[in-house]
Amino acid sequence: MSTVISAKNLTLAYENGKKEIIKNASFSIKKGEFIFITGPSGSGKSTLLKALYGALEPKSGSVVVGGYNLVNINSKKLQKLRRFLGIIFQDYRLINEWSVEKNILLPLIISGYSTKIQQTQLERLLRHVKLSDYADRYPLELSGGEQQRVGVARALAKNPAVILADEPTGNLDDYSSNVIWDLMENACQQLNTTVLVVTHKIPTIFSLPYRHFIIEGGGVYEVH
Amino acid sequence: MKSIKNHLMFILPLMAILLGIEFYLVFDRTTDSYENGLKDGYSMLVVTTKPVKLEDLKSLNSHIAIIESIKRENIVSQIAKNVDKESQKQILSSLPYFYEVHLDKYMAIRGLEKIKNDLEASKIVKKVETFGSSYSSSYRLFSFIKFLLKLFIGFMGVVSVFLIIKQMEIWKYAHRQRMRVMEIFGAPLMLRSGILFRMAIVDAFFATLLTSGIFLYIKFVWVSKSGIDILMQKQDELFDLNDMGILLIVALVIVIVAVYSVVISNKGVEN
Repeated sequence: MSTVISAKNLTLAYENGKKEIIKNASFSIKKGEFIFITGPSGSGKSTLLKALYGALEPKSGSVVVGGYNLVNINSKKLQKLRRFLGIIFQDYRLINEWSVEKNILLPLIISGYSTKIQQTQLERLLRHVKLSDYADRYPLELSGGEQQRVGVARALAKNPAVILADEPTGNLDDYSSNVIWDLMENACQQLNTTVLVVTHKIPTIFSLPYRHFIIEGGGVYEVH
Repeated sequence: MKSIKNHLMFILPLMAILLGIEFYLVFDRTTDSYENGLKDGYSMLVVTTKPVKLEDLKSLNSHIAIIESIKRENIVSQIAKNVDKESQKQILSSLPYFYEVHLDKYMAIRGLEKIKNDLEASKIVKKVETFGSSYSSSYRLFSFIKFLLKLFIGFMGVVSVFLIIKQMEIWKYAHRQRMRVMEIFGAPLMLRSGILFRMAIVDAFFATLLTSGIFLYIKFVWVSKSGIDILMQKQDELFDLNDMGILLIVALVIVIVAVYSVVISNKGVEN
């Protein structure tokens, strides 16, 4: 299996490099893997994820995602990288003035897919996340769990090679959380998508021995 | 309702700027003709020792446009009514030559003084009378009115720019969430700001149409009803189609600069 994410001696910092959050982290993730990254609050889980989608420039070291080196990456390449990813957020980050349909289609609109392809994908995704009757609704008319299902559908819209999820069930009840975990696990198993999930606690529904990294004291360690 | 309010908050200050610009254009056109009137009605008197042609005086100062010779016979007949013809001939032969000199444009007092000095530097020019004092009072009043109008338009423009910036801040806030999300998913700058550009360009068209509408109403309806002679005579100068083009270009430039500044300040929000 080919490597889709790799980091070498990666240091991430805020406040113009003064406050180091991740120090000298090295790891690699292969295509089709399901990865958990856990750690206490403020340990740097979300910071690491931000670095993986290019929202935070590394202080030092290197990080490569889908063949794009994120050190000193220019805006054109950064846009290409982000179109290659599916991203899920704890706070959903849906566009409230857009319908569910348009929110889900966002990655396809950005990449300039034809209306025909958009419609085919939309029907499939709505069925997949069990929101077929919600296409014309708006995010604020949905429950938290439904909004996150829209978020997952949006992340899956382009069948991305990598899905990055930042506390995807952090705001959800157990039932809704399980639905979201199922959707992401299916994407990994059926579409061979690499799924990297940042969460404070691994859910109990997972029985497969997925790889697990823990962030502690600025270091990123694999748990065996 | 909220959307209409948002548009109006952008259209109204934009209209204030466009109204200011149109007032300036109209004022410039009407004062141009006033300036031409002053210029055409003005002439200086030049007295020379021998006959001169336009080229002779033009070579002394290029602003001299027309010269008209004042018939010396008429002067003699006025000043020597009861004198016999022989004496009149003698007076005529001893008289210098008189010319009314018209200029090519409206000049300030300093310009008139320069022309006078240039002409008087020539040996054949005996005397130059500029009639500067009467000319000066009209010119000063005219300059003062022009200055006041420019000041008012400038002030209105500055206030309007601040209002537009304020409205841009509101737009920036209103669209921040959408632009952020689109940026995270790799949307290029023009795609994520496309709606702002569309809204602003539509508003620019509306502001131009409304401003043009106001001036067209003034030109074709209000002026006729007002019964003000001077406005009725200058009706054609109140608004023309070129003005609409100028207003549209100005409005588009303002909105594009305004939207671009919002878009740029939203760049990298996720970082």
